[in-house]
Amino acid sequence: MKDVIRKEHSFNYPIQKVWDAISKADEISSWFVKADFEAKSGYAYTFSSLEEDCPKITGVVKHADPFTLIYTWIVEGTDIETIVKWELTENDKGTKLVLEHSGISNYPENSAVTFFSSFDTGWNGCIDKLETFLPQQIHAR
Amino acid sequence: MQDNITKILKAIADPKRREIFHALVIASSALSITQISGQFEISRQGVTKHIKTLQDAGLVDITAKGRERFCVADARPLEKITEWAKFYERFWDKTLNDLGTFLDNNES
Repeated sequence: MKDVIRKEHSFNYPIQKVWDAISKADEISSWFVKADFEAKSGYAYTFSSLEEDCPKITGVVKHADPFTLIYTWIVEGTDIETIVKWELTENDKGTKLVLEHSGISNYPENSAVTFFSSFDTGWNGCIDKLETFLPQQIHAR
Repeated sequence: MQDNITKILKAIADPKRREIFHALVIASSALSITQISGQFEISRQGVTKHIKTLQDAGLVDITAKGRERFCVADARPLEKITEWAKFYERFWDKTLNDLGTFLDNNES
């Protein structure tokens, strides 16, 4: 077991189009979550969910050269920093995305528990698009 | 502040420790250090060291009976890590699917 979650995904679209979708605030806001975001190193971004009482995600952009985007990822109510990295490369189909989320080892025991309980009642219900997976998440326990 | 999750990750990073831990999980009763060393053909000293690391991570409880020490597995600390991983596994799967859908609908 490693301290990182890694996802690979291919999209049949040009790399610039995928890059725009993950790095431009208006596009992020339309498919992911309401975003105050700039793909500029040092930018302190905020991802807010649609409802007010849900935890926000904040962080700082660490790297934003096409086509690699790295930012810290801090769930509101915790002060634990994890790292999200999006890496795009061109392939014969279009664009390959490798996403890595690392840093669980930054969670001390108790804050991890707090984190999960806030996430379970928080973001799961906050991002409307996550609704479909919420029931699976609960029953998977 | 003690970072337990780091200890847990460290404890299970070693294949031999994972084997020992697994053996303790499937054993229905406590195993002595002697029994474990017999099963894995490693020295008693080696087993003791591995067990200590597992114990530090909260994955093994040790009780002494006479001169022998008995070990029991406790898998509960692993839940924190698997829950984190499980949540984000699904979260990112869903997110990347949404990204795919967005790109499909946004063709220009």
